Amino acid sequence: MSETTLAPAPVEVQKGWGGQSVPRKEDKRLLQGEGVFVDDVKRHGMGYLHFVRSPYAHAHITRVDVSAAEAIDGVYGTLTGEEVAALTDPFFQISSVPGANIKDYALALGKVRYVGEPVVAVVAETRELARDASELVEVDYEPLPAVVDARRAQDSETPVLHDDAGGNLMWTGLYKWGDLDAAFAEADRVVKIPELHFHRFNSTPLECDGALVEFNRGVGQWTIHTNNQFPGFAAIMMGPAMKVGLDKLRFVTQDIGGGFGNKITSHPQLVVCCLLARKLNRPVQWTEWRTDFHLSMSHGNERWFEDTEVAVKNDGTLLGFRTKALDDAGAWLRYEPLGGVIWAQVTPGMYRWRHIELEFTQVATNKAPVSPNRGYSRMQHLWFTERVIDIVARELGLDPVEVRKRNYIRAEDMPYETPNGCIYDSGDYAAMLDLALELIDYDSIPAKRADAKERGKLLGVGIGSTLDSGTNNFGQSRLINPELQFSGNNEVATVKLDIFGEIVVTLGTTPQGQGHETTAAQVVADILSCSVDDVHVRAGHDSYWNSHAGFSGTYASQFAVTGLGAVKGATDMLAAEIKKLAGAVFGGVPAEALELADGGVRIKDNHDAFLPFMACGAIINANNAGLPEDLDVTLNCRYVYRPPFEVPDVERKFGNLTLTYAAQVHVAVVEVDPETGAYEIVDYAAVDDCGKRINPQIVEGQVMGATAQAIGAAIHETYEYDEDGNLLTPNFYDYHVPHALDMPPLATGAIESPSPFTPLGTKGMGEGGGAGIHAVCAAIQDATGAIVTDSHNPYQRVWRLLQERA
Amino acid sequence: MDVTVTVNGTAYERDVEPRKLLIHFLRDDLDLTGSHVGCDTGNCGACSVILDGVLVKSCMLLAVQANGASIETVEGLSEDGELTPLQQAFNEHHALQCGYCTPGMLMSATALLRESPSPSDEEIKKALQGNICRCTGYWNIFEAVKSVAK
Amino acid sequence: MLLREVEYAKPTSVGEALELLAANDGARALAGGQTMINVMKARAASPDMLVDLNGLEELRGIELAGDGTLTIGAMTTYTELIRSAEAKARPILGEVCATIADVQVRNRGTIGGNVCSNDPTNHLPPLMVAVGARMTIAGAGGEREVSAEEFFLGVYLTAVGPGELLTRISVPAGKKDGFAAVTLGADGTCICNAAASVNGAVRVALGCVDAVPVLVTAETPDGVADAVRAASLMPPSDVHASSEYRTHLAEVLATRAAQEAAGR
Repeated sequence: MSETTLAPAPVEVQKGWGGQSVPRKEDKRLLQGEGVFVDDVKRHGMGYLHFVRSPYAHAHITRVDVSAAEAIDGVYGTLTGEEVAALTDPFFQISSVPGANIKDYALALGKVRYVGEPVVAVVAETRELARDASELVEVDYEPLPAVVDARRAQDSETPVLHDDAGGNLMWTGLYKWGDLDAAFAEADRVVKIPELHFHRFNSTPLECDGALVEFNRGVGQWTIHTNNQFPGFAAIMMGPAMKVGLDKLRFVTQDIGGGFGNKITSHPQLVVCCLLARKLNRPVQWTEWRTDFHLSMSHGNERWFEDTEVAVKNDGTLLGFRTKALDDAGAWLRYEPLGGVIWAQVTPGMYRWRHIELEFTQVATNKAPVSPNRGYSRMQHLWFTERVIDIVARELGLDPVEVRKRNYIRAEDMPYETPNGCIYDSGDYAAMLDLALELIDYDSIPAKRADAKERGKLLGVGIGSTLDSGTNNFGQSRLINPELQFSGNNEVATVKLDIFGEIVVTLGTTPQGQGHETTAAQVVADILSCSVDDVHVRAGHDSYWNSHAGFSGTYASQFAVTGLGAVKGATDMLAAEIKKLAGAVFGGVPAEALELADGGVRIKDNHDAFLPFMACGAIINANNAGLPEDLDVTLNCRYVYRPPFEVPDVERKFGNLTLTYAAQVHVAVVEVDPETGAYEIVDYAAVDDCGKRINPQIVEGQVMGATAQAIGAAIHETYEYDEDGNLLTPNFYDYHVPHALDMPPLATGAIESPSPFTPLGTKGMGEGGGAGIHAVCAAIQDATGAIVTDSHNPYQRVWRLLQERA
Repeated sequence: MDVTVTVNGTAYERDVEPRKLLIHFLRDDLDLTGSHVGCDTGNCGACSVILDGVLVKSCMLLAVQANGASIETVEGLSEDGELTPLQQAFNEHHALQCGYCTPGMLMSATALLRESPSPSDEEIKKALQGNICRCTGYWNIFEAVKSVAK
Repeated sequence: MLLREVEYAKPTSVGEALELLAANDGARALAGGQTMINVMKARAASPDMLVDLNGLEELRGIELAGDGTLTIGAMTTYTELIRSAEAKARPILGEVCATIADVQVRNRGTIGGNVCSNDPTNHLPPLMVAVGARMTIAGAGGEREVSAEEFFLGVYLTAVGPGELLTRISVPAGKKDGFAAVTLGADGTCICNAAASVNGAVRVALGCVDAVPVLVTAETPDGVADAVRAASLMPPSDVHASSEYRTHLAEVLATRAAQEAAGR
């Protein structure tokens, strides 16, 4: 059902653990049902929390009365928006004006702005009782008209969500590089595309959000067991709002059931849990149900690209484009408007055009708040560039394969500086395309097309090429708001030798299935020349380990660079210390004469002089008399990886925004039933290049998962609202994600173009850049002959395309 | 109401409200947290268990309906803490990433292999159709199950 | 996700079940639970009492009479029907049941539950109408039989009244049947479906287009599309299909189901 072809790697075959598909350490507990997910954590006397949520998309709150609910025996207490406003400051806003002016509290205050918005929290002895009691909370609303179409959000007669912002405009910026007038003058043709639309969906991790929060009254500290995947961000948002130092917020995660970016903005709900844990003096447990998640958590950016004009030569060379990007942020800016700049990591996509103008506008609407979703903001933009390429090819009557190859940035141009100063580190896109076409047996397509026609079907082939930019320079936030004081990035790891020589690693990351324990162990084992089985990586994340920094978490395709960079740094430190210690113990032998091997350290020219790790650990921890006074060795090493970034030039909107650029090229083959518009994917190939792969099987797993999610989004998954702001797909019954029978055959391939910028030559990967969406859209366009302008193509839309064509 | 169930060979007797779902009974009352909740409409299968030899979604049954039944959950699959061939196959084929759907997948695969020790590719997909995975795309799961087929 | 309080009873005879249903206004039968439990999770409906039919052997089993009539107990699960040797007498039944949802649902969900819930997107209501099934309903006064066409009255509404139970379904002999659907993903919820049966003329029952299955007839499969058009369908619009698209699908699927039936 899936096979992997490895294209010739440009580096020598690795010895050691790096490059091997080591079976995962994480698996044993997960396979035995012994994983610890947040809902598995229990505390004596804990209260269960249920949110009363808004039934209206837009309404004034005129009255809140919790007395009937609180009177129920077994209800421990409640929390309202008024209380939250008294106890906390509004959340910090990333945006500059006008978005900066909105006041975001952990519960709705005065107004509700989307269906499902939390209004009151009820805590009770059992889950069922909390749910029952919530029905006794009385909330009176005065409904207002709902803003559901971002294109109408700035019309004068459209209601305003946030009076403090003076309108529904949240942020706008103009990006302009190169000389677009010259490009249009030089062009043979200008291809115009009135409207392209990228739809709203997300990755629906199987485990929803959740938390169990305890408050330690004695020291005023909260322990937040949760599955938030970016505790660094949550802390920065929660601390100032709650008016406490960040050390008062201890985040503990172990196993997380998928994140995909959708578990970054749970901080409002976490604040509610914290306030209630303190108010009620008992642990508070919150489980987010599936419908709650769909209604309220982390929708992906819905974005229109309007009035696009593309300057092209007759031979298909792309010179430049201008477009207006309109982004729908939903009701609140929780991580937005960072989406307004993050797309610029991949401004030209994979292509060599130099003249680009993009006006980005983000508005608020009465829908769930948007926040990062796998491929965050780059996926939307890359989909746009792929649509442009295919539409241009069609307009010019050229082969989409040839037009791509003509315009792809070339391997010999790498490292390549884009028009806005980002540096693509390495990659050979043309070779990836060739490999993908080979995997799909592209030469057989004409015969397959004819065969499909005999059976009454329309066959189509489509290419989706994409980038996975990884390791953010958070300085790009200054392009959104020049007053922000963020820049660079970091991640932390510690590696130590315990008293009995056990190698113990802690990470700052919060993996949700990416296999960090295993890949980190591989890197450590290679440096210390031991077995991966001897390396114990602690599961999850805990602020108490002091193994985190401001940007710690697992998001944005960066672990292989930042996380493993930190692991390498810490292990290199440890290796050096081991040699220093051994050198002293051996009576003054210099480090160059020593090597690590066989679970210990020895003199290169005399293997009999050998100190096992156990001895090293014992000496430092329990038997350290007689060591030289100036011996600076602890065997407990903490390293903060810091990628090499500068603060971007805010004026010119220029500078390197991400350190690495993994790439994927996908090809999809579809068969469309012209009578119904129903279609299936009959063949599929995905080629990935993420530089050096520490664990190829884990990398391939990420490629597969991203492919499946992209296919789901392309065909069935959508968050659609009616005109009153009701979400029409609030659960898995109507929001159809791919199941086993939906999966096409899949062939995968890989190329390794190491990154020259990272400690291990790796590139972050995992998000996958939505290549499946780009490929399916292209395949439908090929099958139907109609121009595809929407990222979401359910059967009904395909049928309409065929009708309009006829 | 009184409920007596046997889970993974151990007998339990509890007093539960009729409205309590079997999945919550297993997780909250019996502390068997291996089976998971992934949705609220019976679509995801993360709660799948085998009840009197039949694969069911435990979120679609009341605990009281299981009175007198014998239930198998993921915790009962391995013996003496060692992974079974099916579990090993999942590990070797990287058939799990976050692990949240995995208990349900294992129960569905177990039910399939008991009935059909040499399933075809199509039969494997059909057997796992009621288990949603968002991480793997299913391909490696198919390979893992196929690899332990006779 | 969390149900309201409810009482629970597990009768040991159909008579006892009928008594419980008749005596308690807010009592509802619990069959496979694959719909009922979901409805209760959403608190869209919250019966005061659930009368669990799963212990009633009288409601299970499939019999094949000499004249080819199949009698299917209302509590027969989809899995039982799919595996039943008797049910192979009318192959379309098992074939359609095998496309419903997934193994877990098929192991608990019942034929009776499917028809009694009469969700417009269900597979079995149009199928029962197409094959000319007859439903036996038991109540305090005894048993009565209604045709499938008379059984389905409205959305979630059937001829089974308060204090009554569907006990069995009779399906006449026949093999020239067809079924066509466009679904939300493989084996998913139907966006539109059609069941056809050929016995001289062609009977096609359309699902998903109205509160109850819509029956059209034609002389031959070629005439089915016209018959569907003549029915002037006004299906609902929802997130999966507009009224216009559903109407179009109905025509196409009706024709395909009829062609499949004629071709057997």
